[in-house]
Amino acid sequence: MPFIEVKGLRKVYRLGSEKVVALNKIDLEIEKGEICCILGTSGSGKSTFLNMLAGLEKPTKGSILIGGRDIAKMSEKELAKFRQENTGFIFQSYNLLPSLTAAENVSLPLMFKGISKNKREKIAKSMLKAVGLENRMSHRPNQMSGGQQQRVGIARAFVAKPNVVFADEPTGNLDTKTTAEVMELMVRMCRKYNQTLILVTHDVDIAKYADRIVHLIDGNIDSDKRNESIVPKEPLEKEDGKTINNACENENMQAEEIGQ
Amino acid sequence: MKFFDIIGMCFKNLWRRKLRTLLTVLGVVIGSCAIIVMISLGLGSNAALEYSLKQMGDLNVVTVYGNNNGGGVVVDASGSSKNASGAPPKLDDAALETIKALDGVEVVFPKLRLDSNMFSIYAGKNNRYKAQWIEIYGVFPEELEKFGYKIDQGQLPAEMGNKYIIFGSQAAYQFADTKRKNRMVWKEDKGDGTFTEPFFKPLEETIFLAVNNTKKDPDSNGNYQSGGRSYEHKLKVAAVLKEDYNKYESVNAIMLDMGFAKQLLADYNRLNGIKNYDTSYTEVAIWVKDLNKVGSVQDAVTEMGFQAYSMDSIRDQLQGQVVKQQMLLGGLAAISLFVAAIGITNTMIMSIYERTKEIGVMKVLGCFISNIRQMFLIEAGFIGFIGGVIGSIISIIISIVLNAVGGGAIGVDMYFGDTGKSVPISIIPFWLILLAIAFSTLIGLVSGFSPANRAVKISALEAIKNE
Ligand SMILES: Nc1ncnc2c1ncn2[C@@H]1O[C@H](COP(=O)(O)OP(=O)(O)OP(=O)(O)O)[C@@H](O)[C@H]1O
Ligand SMILES: [Mg+2]
Repeated sequence: MPFIEVKGLRKVYRLGSEKVVALNKIDLEIEKGEICCILGTSGSGKSTFLNMLAGLEKPTKGSILIGGRDIAKMSEKELAKFRQENTGFIFQSYNLLPSLTAAENVSLPLMFKGISKNKREKIAKSMLKAVGLENRMSHRPNQMSGGQQQRVGIARAFVAKPNVVFADEPTGNLDTKTTAEVMELMVRMCRKYNQTLILVTHDVDIAKYADRIVHLIDGNIDSDKRNESIVPKEPLEKEDGKTINNACENENMQAEEIGQ
Repeated sequence: MKFFDIIGMCFKNLWRRKLRTLLTVLGVVIGSCAIIVMISLGLGSNAALEYSLKQMGDLNVVTVYGNNNGGGVVVDASGSSKNASGAPPKLDDAALETIKALDGVEVVFPKLRLDSNMFSIYAGKNNRYKAQWIEIYGVFPEELEKFGYKIDQGQLPAEMGNKYIIFGSQAAYQFADTKRKNRMVWKEDKGDGTFTEPFFKPLEETIFLAVNNTKKDPDSNGNYQSGGRSYEHKLKVAAVLKEDYNKYESVNAIMLDMGFAKQLLADYNRLNGIKNYDTSYTEVAIWVKDLNKVGSVQDAVTEMGFQAYSMDSIRDQLQGQVVKQQMLLGGLAAISLFVAAIGITNTMIMSIYERTKEIGVMKVLGCFISNIRQMFLIEAGFIGFIGGVIGSIISIIISIVLNAVGGGAIGVDMYFGDTGKSVPISIIPFWLILLAIAFSTLIGLVSGFSPANRAVKISALEAIKNE
């Protein structure tokens, strides 16, 4: 059984008497550990699709099964619990809470889960180390660059070891060099724990990081193919000489402690 | 989410908007201050009222007057009995029992007044000093204290019997010096704060009391003959009462044990051949423990056909005025607290508008909506709580200042001679502080209720909307 199973998904927005069909009829199956890119032009329905996968919006028709459970039928409370246990989210505009430090932002999902302050601080710190921000722990979002903020966002998305991470244009606000760093980081994080990543973008270059590229046009799947020119996975050199791979090792040790 | 973490998030949010939090708290401070100060002023004026009522008479006491004017007055010799139906009831032992059984009555204190004409009373060597006109009351001495009689000198013996008597504070001034043309001395301020002394010190003298034979005319000095040895008593003054101008007997009268008084009354009537005389009490004071029952006891006694008097009706009237005042002031205070509540709601709604995206993000990250609701409620509740605490502190300061400044200004009204203490204008009991803080917190919670509901309804989608 595939990890994510989308059947006959349809989303229609009503604006007065006018109907906007954002998604027509989507059928899709995604395996555990797959890095799947939803590619399409503006207005093709990518965000709508992702939002429904993440349970932020209810579909007009059809079902979305994640790990065998239909998220369209969950109550608010069940959904919150489901998100705590299964999903991470990376936003285009980072969406860090401005009053919290980097470490506190990263530990938010753990706090919502009810994990004690000591434990979650330890985990959050090792996560921040893993994304190369060990010396930005107690900085607030407005004291960090966009790239740094997005790395905090990535740390936050992965901190609770979710089964699936959703990312909507995660590099939309970043320059080319930072985009490459951030994409590399996300992909490595996923690979480490065999986590599923669903990535929305309009940028073909970014799609190259994925295993699989689903092309949306006007709310329909136009093509769905394996990525042949997948970006190589050599370790990326960091300024301080440490590799992200090493950092991941580090994170690995700490994350084991969460235990599920 | 752990409760402690929810609190932590609340503090971070309140701290982030320091100025706005401060201003909102200020609203609550003003509101709670207004309420506390108003209530404390009300309590103060209530206390002052009770105090001055107490000066006028004991609030717990209902006084009942019998239809007998002085136990010794000779009843119409023709014996036209007034005890037929329709006649006023007698305040006798039977009536006393009925009164004792009334709801709320704790102690009854009958007084039997003996007319001063019935006796001759002397003090000093060779009966030099003679009482001119002195009232004699039979009482139950053990109840004196309960009814507000205070002893100035000496002390009450276990049994007064027909050996001891009690002097009113100025009873000794009622004696005239028979060797100096019945000259008397009055209690007067000598101008240096001391008073003129009576002819003798009551506790040190033996008092000689003789029952008069009023059938025979008095001698040239106005002295009646006594009925002989068995009608004469040598008495010791056990105690002198402290004067209280609300109680006539504590000043100018002599008190005897009730049994002795009844015996003297019987002796007088026997000596003078009077058979049909009235033995009912002159007056009964009733002690009602529960102030709220004073009125009903008074009504019940009136119903029995007696005249009854208490401070209750005056108290009701005065208190009614005070309550009206307090309601007006309290209403104003309540309005200011209501404004503060609107302030809290406003602040919370503003903060929800600002934090719409954050709330969406928290939902996307898996925060339970119940936790989001708690965050907003606690924030609002905390604004109320801290406002209540600061308001209480400021109110205490205001109260101290009012009492220090106002006490002097109103001086005359507020100072009562005998204690030398002033009744404070503003009284803040501990329960008022607790109540005010609890109430402010509640106001905060209630004000935060609708904003919190608004917050939980914010869609997770807000997280990804770009402004
Ligand atoms: N809340 C809404 N109400 C009405 N129409 C909507 C709403 N959200 C999306 N749409 C419409 O649905 C279609 C798909 O929108 P969607 O946001 O999914 O596009 P997208 O592929 O993410 O585009 P972009 O790359 O610009 O973000 C668009 O035509 C849009 O106008
Ligand atoms: Mg989009």
